[in-house]
Order: sequence, then structure tokens, then C-alpha cells
Amino acid sequence: MSSVAPAHVHSAEVPQPAQHGKPGGIMRRLNFGTGLIGGIGLAIIAGVVTSQFVPSGYASPVTFAPMEGEYVYLAVLLGWVIGFMAGMGAFVGPIRWMLGRESTHLDAEYMAGKDLGRSRYWKYTTDHKVVGIQYLIVTFIVFGFGGLLAMLIRTELGATWTEVFSPAFYNSIIGTHGIAMIIAMIIAVSGPLGNFIVPMMIGARDMAYPRLNALSIWLLVAAVPCLISSLFLGGIQDGWSAYQPLASQAPIGMLGYQMTIIVFAISTGIASVNLMTTILTMRAKGMSWSRTPIFVYGIFAASLMGLYAFPFYQYSQILSLSDRVFNTSFFNPLEGGSVWLYENLFWLLGHPEVYVIIIPTAAVLMEILPVFMRKPLFSFNFAVAGIVGVVALSGLVWAHHMYMTGWAPAVNYPFMLSTEMISIPVGFLVLVVIGTLWRGTSWSRLPLMAVYAVVFNKMIGGVTGIYLSDVPADQYFHGSMFVVAHFHYMLMGAGFFGAMGGIAFYFPKMTGKILDERYGSIGLWTVFVGFQLTFGSMFVAGLQGQPRRVLQFDEQFDISNWISTIGAYTIGVGTLIFLGAIIFSWRDGPMVSGNPWASKSLEWQTPTPVPLENFAVLPVVTERPYNYGVPDPYDEELRAHDGDELESAGAR
Amino acid sequence: MTQAPQEQPESPTNRPPSMHRFKNWMRRPYARHVMIWTVVIGFLLLPLCWLLLAAMNQTGAPASEIMQDIETTVFVFTLVSIPITAFVFAVLLYSLIGWKRISSDEPPMQENPAIFTNRIGVVLWTVVTSALAMFLVVWGMIELAQITANSYGTISANEQPGGNQSVIVNVTGQQWVWTFAYPQTDGLVSDILYLPVDKPVYFNVTSKDVIHNFWAVELGVKIDANPGAVTTAGVTPNKLGTFNIRCAELCGMHHAYMETEVRVVTQEQFDSWVREMGGRRTS
Repeated sequence: MSSVAPAHVHSAEVPQPAQHGKPGGIMRRLNFGTGLIGGIGLAIIAGVVTSQFVPSGYASPVTFAPMEGEYVYLAVLLGWVIGFMAGMGAFVGPIRWMLGRESTHLDAEYMAGKDLGRSRYWKYTTDHKVVGIQYLIVTFIVFGFGGLLAMLIRTELGATWTEVFSPAFYNSIIGTHGIAMIIAMIIAVSGPLGNFIVPMMIGARDMAYPRLNALSIWLLVAAVPCLISSLFLGGIQDGWSAYQPLASQAPIGMLGYQMTIIVFAISTGIASVNLMTTILTMRAKGMSWSRTPIFVYGIFAASLMGLYAFPFYQYSQILSLSDRVFNTSFFNPLEGGSVWLYENLFWLLGHPEVYVIIIPTAAVLMEILPVFMRKPLFSFNFAVAGIVGVVALSGLVWAHHMYMTGWAPAVNYPFMLSTEMISIPVGFLVLVVIGTLWRGTSWSRLPLMAVYAVVFNKMIGGVTGIYLSDVPADQYFHGSMFVVAHFHYMLMGAGFFGAMGGIAFYFPKMTGKILDERYGSIGLWTVFVGFQLTFGSMFVAGLQGQPRRVLQFDEQFDISNWISTIGAYTIGVGTLIFLGAIIFSWRDGPMVSGNPWASKSLEWQTPTPVPLENFAVLPVVTERPYNYGVPDPYDEELRAHDGDELESAGAR
Repeated sequence: MTQAPQEQPESPTNRPPSMHRFKNWMRRPYARHVMIWTVVIGFLLLPLCWLLLAAMNQTGAPASEIMQDIETTVFVFTLVSIPITAFVFAVLLYSLIGWKRISSDEPPMQENPAIFTNRIGVVLWTVVTSALAMFLVVWGMIELAQITANSYGTISANEQPGGNQSVIVNVTGQQWVWTFAYPQTDGLVSDILYLPVDKPVYFNVTSKDVIHNFWAVELGVKIDANPGAVTTAGVTPNKLGTFNIRCAELCGMHHAYMETEVRVVTQEQFDSWVREMGGRRTS
């Protein structure tokens, strides 16, 4: 899609509001620093005021625990989130609007970070490219936090002869690891690449709602300290699923988890609406659905599923929080609540969320493949059908997490059907990948290597997923280490490797530097080897019958756990190498041109670094995004050299 | 008078028969190689069918018909997954080794011939994967029905606690112990599960506090113990020995230690154990 033609230019004068003072107004003074001051300040005020008002010694009638701490912690968390957002300037726009002060073009330019240099990354900046980088940094932080906890878990499980951590602390690190990694993986591709790349990919100047974009990232930033703070207040001792009534027994750190989810779900919802509106309404002229790159489909699908799924999670946590703080009994079976209600609400998020992670990573791989194979994407329509099929089925499979709950044995049959059906559209995506690899001379660079790693992992994760979707086999595997190994193969094997590939691919566009091939590859393959050791042996432990989330186990599981721990440390080393490659390439790497991979799609046709508003002249799209190996798109008579096998080589 | 035969454009009617075209296709080295590699990788993966079961059987499984069904399912699923997995791995490997690779710093000038789609390949893939998936669904449903029959089929719905055809055990989970009550006896309660061999057992499972999961590993029984609800499961142990019971749902601090044993004994040993424990069979 290299052709760029001038769009029709409107020349009529539009009356502009008058400029008061310097552009940006109060936003000139607000940044991350004032956000921290506002957040911490309001948190302290809220905590002190609450502790004065709540009568001390007031006890919960359910757990007989003193409730004072709960109210104070809840007030502190709310104070932090609201104060931080206020300090960042999230409320400036609505307040100015309510006061009738329209913002001018200069204000908007200031908000987008024009001429602000590096300080724009620390502000409430509306430019989608700044938001993309901010998402990238937050992903690294949350992933690093979760990865550190993973190392602690494997240390405990590798040291089979002793308890390294207390059981309570061990349980809180597995719960925190779980939710931190889930958040990190959800944002890993959709956040940085969805925000940075998608508007450029569809030929837009920014997102549809730039201020909502800034709101979504800074809400996410506000949620992260809520999560980390919980680790110091007893932590999340009930796994990331936070099943009731175990969650109401947990110490007050649980409130940190609930608050994180409530804020994160708002952030995700805003981001989803924004991305979907952008994709639906702001595609360049001529970008029909068949000319829209597959990554855009992937992001749209993930946003749609997120928009559907996250409210369930949010409600479940609001109700849980209410049970805990206000002694309601939505989920308390002793007072007429239902634990199965919680499980249903939770898994209504829980399973679509898996596809929220996997579909964008699969889509970014399908974006990488044509560029490095120098071939069109095999059967574009089939790829779209695969994504549509996964989205359609994703909402109908949640109860396969509840086969063994005894909730409703009769529905096991339809859920087994829907769950195994989903392997068909996922199979479409696999076919698209191997069809694109077929007979291609590959340009073997780091992003392409990530594709191989992901497809390998995804096959193993997919096949073991079929075991788990089957009720008889799940009767053995449910709740065992086999499940842990399976979902790590999917979420980490596809999600994390896909994110590595995607970031390596778009690194030149995002930073202007190229990711160091040598150290990046060493990091990638080290992680790959460690990954196979860790989770391959975890399959064995699960087959032998080791339950998940335990800190001690019988001697028969020792060997597989030792291997697993060695693998986990290898992953840690590999990740550090990869991270080092990112940091050093970003700082010291040589500058590259705007299109170092010689890609034909639209986002690579912009100059690097990408100017504000991306395109001086909005492009017009005249052909499909992956027309590699097609000399002249307008030649109707075109036949590839091997007409027997090639059905259609025509463009359009 | 002869007329030169008119040149006809290629149409579906005068294309060579599909078998012939398939043979032609197979004559290409890459097609042959990928097929051979698929077979080789498939045979390399084949031992997994038995290795998975070997891992599952380390502690004496299968000790019941249900566990046998589960293992058969695992075996069949592994077997059915191998061809597709082997094919995908073969293409991945061949793409890395067989087809040409360029590792220059600059983008290659040469582009590959465009393959936009291939109707036969797409249809074949869809049909094969859908057929396999549907086979697995049907297999799973039949096995599930069979397991359900094995669990509950031997218990008639109106059999009272006191009937002699089966053993009823009320399983209660609480943080972090299992308690087994035998309602057919005079209040016998134990923290180790004793079961007579070859006799149907019927579990009523509940919990006093949080959700637990009653997992009799080698017997293939797994069911959640929910507070405020009773769930049921059943099994007929058919092997003498001592097996594991674990909690398979995170239930708090000492979740890892919430394990006990099931001792499957002969009917005589079971009866004498009941007498020893001071229980008296009420029937």
C-alpha cells in the first residue's frame, strides 16, 4: 500500500475559539510528579479521616475480624486513584468543558505533546504514539514484577527439602504473580502496538478519542500500585481467581486486588471503545475490509471480547468487595449467597480473556510473516474467518472451567462441544501461518524466529487444551499442574513470545532504532529452551498427579520440579538478555530508515521518528496490504509461474 | 479434409483427474520431503501415547473402571493429535531447513511467487481438522456418559442409606482435613478412607468452610466440595492397595497438606475394620 494520494482538502474557514493565556493552561503544570503528590496526599487525607470516623473495635459478624483496617485501606486506595488522576490532569478537560471554556487548536496541540521533548512521556499526553510507549513501559514494569514473583515460586518448589516461604506468603505470591501476569499479557500487544501502530496502519492521524486514550493508560498506571501494595498487607492468598468464600477469609490485601480489577476494567473498557471506534470510523479512504491488515482485525476482536468480558469481572469484584466491607452476602453460602455465582461471573471473564491475549499476538505474527517471507498472507479470508470464529465462540465456553464443580453436570456436554469446536477456527489460524511459510524463501530475522517459537508452543498448548476441554480427561487433569503447564504454553508460549516478536518487529518504528539481532536472538532462544524445560516437566508433574498451587509435595514429584526450576531460572536469564538488548538498542543503537523491513503496509510508509499526526497528507489505499511477489497489481492476466497450484494471484 | 483441433482454454472438464494431479504434486521434492518428515516426526511422537499413561500410572493407577476410561481417552486423544501436530512441525522444520533462507541485514530484493490461497489445501485442512475435532467431541461424550453410568448407574435413585448393595460415604472437607463418615454404620467417622474392593461407592461431598476439591487420584474421582451444597460422585474400586487423596482446589494456607489415603481392602477386611472402629453395620 505504497500509493499515497492527496485527499480532498477543505478550505472553508472555521471560526476558532479565542486563546486565553498560554496553550495548555493548567496542564502545563501537571505531570507524573503532581500526580504522585496528589495521589499520596489524598490517600493520606482519606486514610486519616476514615480512621477518625470508623469506631475502633467494630468487628465483622462473619469473620469476627476488626473492620477498621478495611475501611482505612479502601479509603486510601480510592484516595490514591482519584488523587493521582486529578494530579495528572484527568479532570481538567471535563471541568473546563463544564465551565464553557472550549479548548483551542493550540491547547490540543499542547495536549498532544507538541515540542515537549521527553517530558511528554510523563504527562497526560493524548498523542497515540506517546500512549503506546507509555503502555510499553508499564508492560515491562508489570511483567518484571510478575516475573520476579515467578522466580520466587520456582525457588520454593525447587527447594523440595524445605519451606523457603511461609505458606501464607507463598499463597500470596502465586496469586499476585497470576494477576500481574494476566494484566501484563493483556496489555502486552494490545497496549503498545494497538495504540502506537493501529492508527498508522489504518491511515489515521490519531485515535478517535485521544483524551480517553490518555485516560486509559493513566488509570492503568493508577491500578499498578494498588496491586503492589496488597502484597504488603497480606497479599492475595487465594490465587488470581479469588474464589469465594476463600477470598473473604484473606487478609485486607485482598482489597488491593479488588480495587486493581475495578480500575483496570474501567481502563480496558475505555481503551476497547476507543480502539473499536477508531478502527470502524477512521480507516483511510479506500481501505475496505479486504484491504484492512489482519492485525487491525486482531485488535478489533480483542477489544470486542474485552468489552464483553471485563464487566463480568468488575461486577464480581465489586460484589466481593461489598461482601467484604459492607457484610452483604452475595457469595456467602452461610447467608444464602452462592459460590457458584462467583465462579460463573469470574469465568465469564476468564475464558474470553485468554483470547483477548492470544488473538492480538496471533494477528501480529500474521503481520510479521508476509514481510519476512516476502509472500502474501496465505488465505486472508480464512484468517479473518478464524478470528471471527474465535470471537463468536469465546463467550460460550466459560463453564469448561467448572466441569468438576458439580454446579450442573448436565451442561458439561454442550460446553464440551463448544470448547472443542473452538479448535477449528484456531486451526484456521495455524493453516494461515503454515500456508504462508509454504515454499517461501525466508528472510530469517528475529521477528520471524518468534513466529516459529510461537507456532511450536501453540501446537503443544492447543493439543493439551483439547485434553482439558474433554470432561473425562479433565476429571484427572483439573486442578493439577497439567493445567498450569497448558495455560503457560498458551499465554506465555503464544502471548509472551508473540509480544517479543511484535515488539522486535515494530521496534524500528517506535524508537527509530533496530533491535540488536544477536542479543535479541540469544535472549529469545534462551527463553525458549528454558520455557520447554519449565513447562514440559510441569506436564509430567501434572500427569503424575501433582495439584497446582501447593508448596510441598510427595517425593515422586521432586525430579520434574527440579527441572522446572532450572528452566524457570533460564527463562529469567533469557528475559534479562532480551530486556538488555531492548534497552541498549534503544539507547545506543544506530538510527534506521522509516521502513527497514521493506514492508508494504501503511504504517511503514511514515517517516521515522513519526511526526505528530503521522501523515502530512492522508493516504488513499488502492491495494491489499500483502501484495508481495505481485509485479503489477493491475495486470488481470497475471499468472504466477506455477498455475497448477496457484489459484489466484490477482491483486485487489 | 482435416481441421486443426481447436485450442481450448483450461477448464475443469479437461483438467487431469485429481489422482493424477496429486501424483504430479507428490513428485515435487518439497512435497515428498514434507510428507516423509511428517511420518518420521509422527513416529517419533508416537511413544508419547504410552509415556503419558506411564506417568499417570506411577502410583498404581488405574484402580477403577473410571480411571481406565480416563486413560483410554488420554491415549486416543494423543493418537488423534499426532498427525496434525507432526504435519505442522514438519512444515516448520522444513521451512527452517529445507526451503532457502536469507540472513542478510538488508531486505531481500527477490520476492516469492504470490500464493494467495489454495482451494484444495484450505478445504482439506478444514475437513480434516473439523472431522478430528468432531470425532473427539463424540468420543468425549460417549466416554462421559459411560463414566456417569459407572459413577451413578449402579446406585438406584431411591436406595436408602442402609441398602447393602453399595457403600455410601459422606465426605466433608474443612481447612485442612478430609473427614469420611459412613452413614450405613453406627456413626463411624474416619480420616482415612477405607473402601471394599469391587463394590460401588457413592460419595456425598460437601465442605464446612471454603471450596475444596475431593480428588482420589488413582481412582479417577474428582469433585468440588462446596460450602452450602452437596455434590455427588461414585466409583467402583477394582484394585487392592493404598492410593492418594488430595485437595485439588486452593483452600488456604495448608492446601498442600490437605491429603490423605484411600485404602481399598477386601470385603472381609473392610467389615473387620468397621467392627474395630466401633462402628456397627446397621444393615
